[in-house]
Amino acid sequence: MTPEPERLSYWALVRQQFAKNRPAVLGLWCGVGLFGLAIGAPLLALDQPFLWSEGQGVSSPLLAALFNRLLFENGVDIFFNLLLVLTPAYAAALWLLRRGGRLTLRATSLLIGLHLALTAAVIPQTWFGAPNPFHHEAPIVDYRVLEAQRIRAGEPVTAVFPPRRIHYRETDPERSVRPPGPQFLLGTDLEGRDVFVRMLYGTRISLTIGVVAVAIYVWIGIVLGALAGYFGGWVDVAISRLIEVMICIPSFFLILTLVALVQDRSIFHVMVIIGVTSWTGVARLVRAEFLQQRELEYALAARALGLPRWRVIFRHLLPNALGPVLVSATFGVASAIITESSLAFLGLGDLSVPSWGETLNAGRLEMKPWLIFAPGLAIFFVVSVFNLVGEGLRDALDPQMRT
Amino acid sequence: MRAYVLKRLLLMIPTFFGISLVVFLVLNLAPGHPGGNQQASDLAADVRSADTQESHRIFREQFGLDRPVLFNTRIWLTQEEVEQALREIAGRDGASPGDRVRAQQRIEDWGAYAVPHLVAAMQAGQDDEIRDLAVYGLRLAARRPLIDPFEPRPSPERRAENQARRAENNRLRGYRYDLDAPEAEKQRVAGEWIAWYAQVADRFRHDPAEKVRIFFLETRFARYWANLARFDFGVSLVTREPVMATLIDKLRYSLSLSITSLLLGYLISLPIGIYSAVDKDSLVDRTTTIGLFMLYSLPSFFVGTLLLFWFSEGSSIEAFRWFPIGGWRSADADQLTSIAQVRDVAWHLVLPVLCMTYGSFAALSRYMRSGLLGVIRSDYVRTARAKGLPESRVILTHAVRNGLLPVITLLAGLLPAILGGSVIVEVIFDVPGMGRWLIESIYQRDYNVIMAIQLLSTLLVLFGILLSDLGYALVDPRIRYR
Repeated sequence: MTPEPERLSYWALVRQQFAKNRPAVLGLWCGVGLFGLAIGAPLLALDQPFLWSEGQGVSSPLLAALFNRLLFENGVDIFFNLLLVLTPAYAAALWLLRRGGRLTLRATSLLIGLHLALTAAVIPQTWFGAPNPFHHEAPIVDYRVLEAQRIRAGEPVTAVFPPRRIHYRETDPERSVRPPGPQFLLGTDLEGRDVFVRMLYGTRISLTIGVVAVAIYVWIGIVLGALAGYFGGWVDVAISRLIEVMICIPSFFLILTLVALVQDRSIFHVMVIIGVTSWTGVARLVRAEFLQQRELEYALAARALGLPRWRVIFRHLLPNALGPVLVSATFGVASAIITESSLAFLGLGDLSVPSWGETLNAGRLEMKPWLIFAPGLAIFFVVSVFNLVGEGLRDALDPQMRT
Repeated sequence: MRAYVLKRLLLMIPTFFGISLVVFLVLNLAPGHPGGNQQASDLAADVRSADTQESHRIFREQFGLDRPVLFNTRIWLTQEEVEQALREIAGRDGASPGDRVRAQQRIEDWGAYAVPHLVAAMQAGQDDEIRDLAVYGLRLAARRPLIDPFEPRPSPERRAENQARRAENNRLRGYRYDLDAPEAEKQRVAGEWIAWYAQVADRFRHDPAEKVRIFFLETRFARYWANLARFDFGVSLVTREPVMATLIDKLRYSLSLSITSLLLGYLISLPIGIYSAVDKDSLVDRTTTIGLFMLYSLPSFFVGTLLLFWFSEGSSIEAFRWFPIGGWRSADADQLTSIAQVRDVAWHLVLPVLCMTYGSFAALSRYMRSGLLGVIRSDYVRTARAKGLPESRVILTHAVRNGLLPVITLLAGLLPAILGGSVIVEVIFDVPGMGRWLIESIYQRDYNVIMAIQLLSTLLVLFGILLSDLGYALVDPRIRYR
C-alpha cells in the first residue's frame, strides 16, 4: 500500500501509471535513443576528423564543419548540430533547474524556444542586410585524402575520424548499388551514397517532420477547438462545418496535391502542409473537452473572477483538456512520419535531404534487399516507438484502466 | 428512416459545396500554371510568337483561366491600374521581362472591363508611348469571346451571334499601326478606336444588379460549378478528353481494390477481435495483440515493396514466384476463356489487395477487441450470463452487438485512409486506377482531373459516413434517426 496516494497530482498519477507499462517505457527510452542518434549523427559519420594534428598544434575540423554551410545547408541539420554543440550547456541548465526544483513545463519550453531562436539566428546569410557572423562557408578539405598523402610522404600526422568517414550526400557513380560490406555497412544506393549514413541522418528528418508537423496542427487544433467549444453558438457552427468539410477530403490526396504544387519545395513545406491539413482530430477532441469543462464550477469561478477570456481559455480550461490531445499528438507523430516517407517514396519529397522513403523507392525500383529493408525497418521502428508510447499514454490517462 | 436519409442526402450538398470550394481554392491559388510545364515556359519567354500567343489565349479561354478565381472585382478596375499595366508592358518602373509578359497577360484577362480605361488612356494624350500601348492593349482587350465555340450543334441565333462577333474581332484586329508609322496614321487608327467605342459604349456600362451578378458569377468557381451541376467535370487539360468517362473507367479498378480489401478486412478482423477479447490475456490474445500492433505500424509502401520482393515473379526466391509483378491482367488475357480471365484478374489482385487490407485489418481487430472489452464488463452482459444463457450466446448476440459500435464508426475514418492509400498501392503494383491517375495528373498540372478525383473521392467518403451512421442504427436499437 502506498501511503496517501490521493496526494499525487494528476500528472504524477499519469506518470506513475505509465511507468507500470513496460513496453511503453521501453518505447520511450528507444525514442530518447533515437533523438540521441539524431543529435550525435556527425560523431558517428562525417568525412571530417574530430582531431587533426600535423606535428604541432591540434585542430578540430569536425567542429568547424558542423556549421559549414557547404556541408550542412538545411535547417534541420543546423538545428541538430547546434544542439550537439550545446548539449553540455543544456544538460547543465536542466540539472541546475532540477536541483533548484524549478524544472517546470515553462522552463523547459523556454529552453526549447531559446534553442529555436538560436537556430533561426544562425541560419540566414544576412542579418537585416548585414552579413551574419555565424553564417560560415569554408572550402571543404578532404582530410581523408590529406591523411593518406601525409602518411605516404612519411610526415607525422594524427587524425581521429568518426567511425564512418563519409558524408551522407557524398556520391560516386563508380560504386552505385553495392551490397553491404565492411566499407558500406548497409551498402550504397543508385548514386553511390552510403545507405547506413543516410539512414542515420534520416533520423533527423523523420523526427523533425513528425514533431514539427504535429506541433503545427496541435496548435491549430487547440485554438480552433477551444474557440468552438468555449464560445459555442455561430463560432461553433462555423468551425464544426469547417472540420466536417476537412474530414471528408481524403487528406493524403490533399497533401499530395499541395506538395506537388509547391515550387522549389523543401522539407519545411512538407511539414507545414502536413500540419495545416491534419488538425481536425485535435480540434474535435479539444472542442468536446471544452464543451464539458466550461460547464464545471472551476470554469464558472474563473469567469466570475472577471479574468480575461483568453486567460480562462488557455490557463484554466486548456490544461484540463490536454490529456487526450497529448495521446493523439503522439500517434500523430507516427502518422506524420509515414506521410512524409510516403511522399518521398512517390518522388514528391525534398531531394536534398536524406529521407528514408526516398531510399525505399530506390529499393523498389532496383529490388535490392538492403535498399528495401534498411529504410523500411527504420520507418517501422520509429513508427512503432511512437505508437507504443502513445498507447502507454492512452492507457495511463484512462481512469478505467488505473489499478 | 427514409426521411432521415433524405435529410442527410440534402445536407451533403452544402458540405460538398464547401469541399469543392476548399479544393478549388487550393488548386487555383497555388503557384504554377495548368496544362503542364509547356505553358509555364511560354509565359516566361520574353517574346511569344503570334501563333503561340493565340493558342495560349484560346486555351485559357476554354478552361476559364482568364477569369478571376472566386470574386470578380474587375468591375471596379481603375484607370490607374490599367495605366500601371501599360507602363509595365513598356518596361518602365524597373519592370523585368517577366513583369512585362505578366502585365500583357493581365490586360488580356481583364478584357472588356479594361476597354473604357484603355480608350481613356489613349485619349489622355500627354504620353505618346502610353497611347501606342493603349492601342496595343485595346487589340488584346476588345476582342469579344465567342459563346460556347466548341458546342457541336449551335442554334441558328447562336451561330449568327458568333459570326457577328468573329467579324467584329477581325475588323478590330485591323485597327493597328507599326510603331514607326507616321503620326497621321497613328491619329487615324486612334480615331477609328474612338469611333468604335462611341458605337458600343453601352456594352461596357453595368447597372448595379448586373455588377452583383458579375461579381459572383463571372468567375472560375461559378463556371466550374455551373458545369458540375450538370455532372460535367470538364475535359482533361492534357488529353482533351472528358474527365467523367475516364474517371468512371479508372474508378472500376480502384473500387474493386478498395471494396474487396474493406470487406476482407471486416471479415477477418471481427472474429479475431472477438476471440482475443473473450480470451483476454491468454497466450493467443497476447501474440495477436503484438502481431496486430506490428502490422499497424508497418507502412504500406514497405509492405507492398516486400510483397513484390518476395512473392512476385521477380522474387529472389524461386520457390515463391507466385504472383505477377503488377498490372491488372496478363498481356494475352484476350485469348483466354472468360473463366480464365476472371482467374487472371484475381491472380493480379492478390498482392495489391493484401497490401491494402492488412492496415485496416489491424486497426479493425484492435478496435473490435477494445470495443468488446468495454462491453463485456457491463451489467447487461452479467445479467445475460446470470439468466443462464450459454456463453456463446452471451458473447455473440448480446455483447458483440454493442461492441460493434466503434468498428462501425471506424468505417467513416477508414474510407479516406483506404482511398488515400490507393495511390501508393496502385503505383507499386502498377494498377491503372484513380490513385495513379491522380499522381500523373498532379505531375502534369491537369486541374480538371485533380479536381474531379478529389471531389469524387470526397463524395465516396460522404456516402461512407452516411453508411456508418445507418449501420449504427441497425446495430443499436436505442439509436433512432428522425
